[in-house]
Amino acid sequence: MPGILIYSDNITLTKQLITAGLLLKEKMNQPVYVILTGEQDLTGIANTAADEVFVLKGSNPWPESYADAIANFASTEQISAGLFGGTPRGKDIAAKVAAKLGAGLVTEAQSVEFDDGCLLTTRLLYGGLAVATEEVKLPALATIAPKTFEEAGSSDKQTEVITIEAANELNQITIGETCPVVREGVELSAANRIVSVGRGVGKKEDLSMIGELAQAFDAEIGCTRGIAEDYHWLPVERYIGISGQKVKPDMYFGVGVSGQVQHLAGMRESKVIVAIDMNENAPIFEAADYGIVGDLYEVVPLLIEALKS
Amino acid sequence: MPRILVCYKWVLDEQDIKIVSLGLSLDVSRAKYKISDYDKNAIEEAVRIVEKNGGSVEAISFGTSLKQSFKDVLSRGVDKVYAIDSSIAENADAYVTANVLAAAIRKIGPYDLILCADGSSDVYNQQIGSRLSALLGLPGITSVSQINCEGDRISATRKLGDCTEVVHIKGQAVISVLPEINSVRIPTMKQVLAAAKKPSEEIKIDALGLSDAELLPKVTKVSVKGFVMNRKNIVFKDANQKDNVSKLVASLAKEGLLKERG
Ligand SMILES: Cc1cc2nc3c(=O)[nH]c(=O)nc-3n(C[C@H](O)[C@H](O)[C@H](O)COP(=O)(O)OP(=O)(O)OC[C@H]3O[C@@H](n4cnc5c(N)ncnc54)[C@H](O)[C@@H]3O)c2cc1C
Repeated sequence: MPGILIYSDNITLTKQLITAGLLLKEKMNQPVYVILTGEQDLTGIANTAADEVFVLKGSNPWPESYADAIANFASTEQISAGLFGGTPRGKDIAAKVAAKLGAGLVTEAQSVEFDDGCLLTTRLLYGGLAVATEEVKLPALATIAPKTFEEAGSSDKQTEVITIEAANELNQITIGETCPVVREGVELSAANRIVSVGRGVGKKEDLSMIGELAQAFDAEIGCTRGIAEDYHWLPVERYIGISGQKVKPDMYFGVGVSGQVQHLAGMRESKVIVAIDMNENAPIFEAADYGIVGDLYEVVPLLIEALKS
Repeated sequence: MPRILVCYKWVLDEQDIKIVSLGLSLDVSRAKYKISDYDKNAIEEAVRIVEKNGGSVEAISFGTSLKQSFKDVLSRGVDKVYAIDSSIAENADAYVTANVLAAAIRKIGPYDLILCADGSSDVYNQQIGSRLSALLGLPGITSVSQINCEGDRISATRKLGDCTEVVHIKGQAVISVLPEINSVRIPTMKQVLAAAKKPSEEIKIDALGLSDAELLPKVTKVSVKGFVMNRKNIVFKDANQKDNVSKLVASLAKEGLLKERG
């Protein structure tokens, strides 16, 4: 029966998608189907307000191997909308499902509504420079980034869980070793203040000066992508931007950050934005509340001193 | 020796797109086209694989004004470029683009390896590699940060946020690479000159045997609006940095942003 399909390889995200699905249901009047695959943990799923829960069970534990089975489910049920968790695996699975269904897919939708027989979505374009509102014909799919919606709460109903056998063996693909990425556990999105380092800082050693500035503000240290991905001076979970962390601290303080749109997209909702940059025309100043034009090697020590006294 | 195809997108350079304050529309009149940044990494990776294993690298694009892109693409070590130049690309969504590329690949293929970037710098849909793999019935692997080819076996290391994963593939594959997979080399003068002599081939969209429905986007734009930043823009640019610093500290104190004293 036509419905709204929910799937993520990450169960926390599944619960967030259920919230989005239930909002769509109000206008679409269609049931919300939650799909889990393999051994995914059912806890807290069957007692949300979702209408039906299906577990696809196959012999291959690799989440991506379920793309065919999810597409089959979607076409058998003639689903009208599919919301997928915007993880790397989820985006791959969603695109494969979309191709098999011949359906449209909106990547990292920030909002999803039902309007006039279509899904109406918003998303960022050009690295965050613009917001596009798009209309998607049914069946319409979207991926949704983590934390776009709150997790669905529990209701007093207990949904029956239906298990479906899935043939998900893949002949040409075998999965080798997986390694967890070691994180230092910093949750940048929770920081109240962030001092962010850009490539204006010339050497890794100079980060100690930035550390001192951060300390003087009681701030966490963040950075631009180049500092993490190209120079490896700071761990990747500290870089801010459209492809990195999205942060909304009370204060974002950029030092030697030019303010390219891809970086701004991750921090422009900060309460107060401050910048130090040598180049008066750096785009960061258009995005800033306060700024100083100058050499950071001159300004930062003066600032640390002023903050200490 | 692998025969490799790289898909690339010819996109507007977002750095030159301005937001018109009235109505927040985008002014693209100053924007030039470029090879989508991450596609350069995909091209580079293909060329590196061939430098190591032998074989050939071809490139393909679906877009408009593609002729302008040939020189840049071919000077990066690509042997031949295919272009499907059509105004249909202007409103194409990932559904249409993947249909067109898959149909073209069926015509000019098969390839041992098809490389894409994980997303394009304009719309960053992150779909083409995955969709192509589904349409062509080939293994599709995304978010790849390392590739090793040996005979007809490919190992790809994926970066998945909280873990890395190695995937072994036997036979043909479609792989989408992350920008961190390599650093793109700047073409040498010799390469730039040689590019002019390399072959390019136009593929007519009508020759692909696609139905009207397959060329009709499922996702259409209702509006595109520039993101506005409403900020105070108070910039201190005195020659005397001490003055600037004390003005900044005073402002931050007013905002209540100075560290509480214990
Ligand atoms: C698809 C895509 C996605 C991307 N995603 C992200 C993302 O998520 N996050 C991200 O950060 N980037 C991202 N980028 C990269 C982004 O476009 C910029 O290249 C990057 O943010 C620039 O980093 P930066 O400001 O550190 O370096 P630069 O742009 O090199 O800026 C350095 C700045 O330091 C200043 N400076 C130099 N020396 C001094 C000095 N002594 N004193 C004071 N100032 C000095 C310069 O004037 C300049 O403004 C992405 C790019 C693409 C194409």
